[in-house]
Amino acid sequence: MITFAAVSLIYPNSTKTVLENLSLTIDEGEFVLVIGPTGSGKSSLLRLINGLVPHHTGGILAGDISVDGISTQLVKPGGLAHLIGIVGQNPINGFVTDTVEEELAFGMESLNIAPDVMRKRVEEILDLMSLAPLRDRSLATLSGGEQQRVAIGSALVMHPKVLVLDEPTSALDPIAAEEVLSILHRLVHDLGLTVVVAEHKLERVIQFADRIVHIDGLGNTRVGTPAQIMSDSDIAPPIVHLARALGLEDVGLTVRDMRRMSEQIRGGNYSHTIEEIELASETVIELLDVSLSFASNTVLKDIDLKISAGEVIALMGRNGAGKSSLLKTIVGLYECNTGSVSILGNNPLKISGAKRRETIGFIPQEPSDLLYGQSVLMECEQGDVDNEIKKGSTFELLNELVPGISPHTHPRDLSEGQRLALALSVVLSAKPKVLILDEPTRGLDYQAKSHLVGTLLRYARVLGRTVILATHDVELVAELATRVIFLADGDCVADGKTLDVLLSSPAFAPQVAKVMSPQPWLTVKDVINALEEIQ
Amino acid sequence: MTDTRHPLTWWIWSIALALGIARGNNPWLAIAVVGCAYLVVRIFRSDAPWSRSFESGLKLGLWILIIRTSFGVLIGTPIPGTTIFRLPILPLPEWMAGIRIGGAVTQERLFSTAHEGVILAAIIICFAAASSLTSPHRLLRVLPFAIYQFGLALVIATSLVPQFVRSISRIRDAQYLRGQKLSFKKILIPLLEESLARSLDLAAAMDSRGYGSTRVRSRYRAITWNAGDTVICGVSALSLFSPALILISVITPFVLIKRKLAVPVQ
Repeated sequence: MITFAAVSLIYPNSTKTVLENLSLTIDEGEFVLVIGPTGSGKSSLLRLINGLVPHHTGGILAGDISVDGISTQLVKPGGLAHLIGIVGQNPINGFVTDTVEEELAFGMESLNIAPDVMRKRVEEILDLMSLAPLRDRSLATLSGGEQQRVAIGSALVMHPKVLVLDEPTSALDPIAAEEVLSILHRLVHDLGLTVVVAEHKLERVIQFADRIVHIDGLGNTRVGTPAQIMSDSDIAPPIVHLARALGLEDVGLTVRDMRRMSEQIRGGNYSHTIEEIELASETVIELLDVSLSFASNTVLKDIDLKISAGEVIALMGRNGAGKSSLLKTIVGLYECNTGSVSILGNNPLKISGAKRRETIGFIPQEPSDLLYGQSVLMECEQGDVDNEIKKGSTFELLNELVPGISPHTHPRDLSEGQRLALALSVVLSAKPKVLILDEPTRGLDYQAKSHLVGTLLRYARVLGRTVILATHDVELVAELATRVIFLADGDCVADGKTLDVLLSSPAFAPQVAKVMSPQPWLTVKDVINALEEIQ
Repeated sequence: MTDTRHPLTWWIWSIALALGIARGNNPWLAIAVVGCAYLVVRIFRSDAPWSRSFESGLKLGLWILIIRTSFGVLIGTPIPGTTIFRLPILPLPEWMAGIRIGGAVTQERLFSTAHEGVILAAIIICFAAASSLTSPHRLLRVLPFAIYQFGLALVIATSLVPQFVRSISRIRDAQYLRGQKLSFKKILIPLLEESLARSLDLAAAMDSRGYGSTRVRSRYRAITWNAGDTVICGVSALSLFSPALILISVITPFVLIKRKLAVPVQ
């Protein structure tokens, strides 16, 4: 269906080869997963398929790509619209109209398809994607998962033979992500649709993939079955790391396979001495009966919280459960309707300037909101000046977090992980008592994520500071958090130790816990520690 | 609930109301019409972003009323009558004779300027009612095809405006939380970068969905003119002949409610 014949790609004004001599044939009905570090060229590979690269972005392309026999060199992306559906990283940025139904019809109108055919197809897609109850809704009011479904639906409505998705689950909670992926799985099997997906969170997609394309960022690519690639890939989901750590012969890619292979290990008798982390008794943040509502819409309901120094708190819950609202109430962007918030005895609404930098550090969902300098160096120097610290200390901190960033790079040209590290070092240079992060792992690869975990753990343990993060990433929570607060519709439905909260709900359990149930282990490290203890 | 009216219907209705108000020149009638129009908007509007434009129109109308009245009281030729209070008179050069700033404020003067203000505000609110009842996208579709392409580009540009506003407040919040004093530059740079990235995304999405690849575009929903539209427009036209009929025309849409409620609610 898709043929890459000796494809090489290089962008103008860049010395880095994105792809070098890639030859690949994707058959009809195949589910292909593209993996690689951030900035390695996954999105470029996807956009080559319908010719957005190089027709839209520029770039020098050698070799030929053809889809269903049509070469993308001869046809513009619009000419392939009936053949290829493409869903971008942020679906809302690609929406053209304002209601669900009109958005579904937009592509067909462009291709001048007869109205009665359109009506029928829209109805089919509304049913297929379970969008019927939302048909007249304004796109701006949909949740992340619903928007993703509309975007996929408006690609499918053209009856394409190929569907290309760039990180379809990065903004979704585990349940919404599973829903989207199972729809894709069904389409591949029922309709023989060819699907190409790029994704960082392998634990969510790997079980659906027929083949994997691994890009290393230097232009080299490897193509193989998931088992082949996972046997020695540095990018691997926790389940594969578990198999390697246990020294199993094969890597299992699904929880079911791994459970079969690890039956013996699981069955052993272990003493569960969970290391208790000593917490200072000092209360840093206190919320009393906090409620928040916008117009008639209640966002938070009677939240009572006490947070001590040194705690790492993960705030979890569905898209739209009130996580961001709670964070914004704590940092003082929203004023609660009833109740009170205090940080170290201060009202967060009344802290500003230097005192704010020393009390609360906040990393928003888009770390680039904080940045306005023309280079990494300028940004770091601003941090030094603001916090009256030795010149160069902020850049040193950045170098510790992610080594090897050139000081003259423009912040926009950094990869997602590097940009987060820059924002983090600017905020951390003030050594705030409380560090708050909103969805820090969107678009981060495993390596950047482990850097982040290391930094935050050091900050909390060594300096005894409080870290609060809102996230959908259960694997991150398992590695990092000491306490999990679970929100649903603005209510605090669970609040307890990470182990207890994560194990109590299968949808939010990390992979290792699913494999090793009923043993209370969340991460590969937990398993290794327990096994070492018994020897 | 979907709006089944033809997009031109509400505009014809509101233009007729506005003309009726201007012709009738009766502030009490104008206020009554605005009240009825408000009820019509409450019942017939959808949850789309533009449906809030009635409230904006209402605010704009009130501002016009306030400004118009205060200027009318301050500036202009005096009208004799019962004096309510007296303001100091601002001395003006001789060549500006006939204009007076300040001076005695009479009851007659206050009433006459307020009267004009109410009429003006009511006309503006009528147009706000039409724009909050009609999707600008649907309105564009019934316009001649030659301006459709241009219009579509315009709609896309305007649909980026709310996102623009949201981005500004998000970036401002983030900078405030970084403990920075707010400055134009610190907001502008991230904003421009984001808007540029977003427009490129949108252009890529439209391109890959075949926008502009054929010369002719088909229409998903044919927009039809039905009996309800004829009734509303016909009765509205009557209000041009007699100001007394204007109240009938403003409540005609309610006749159609019965049918509207018969549609099963999902």
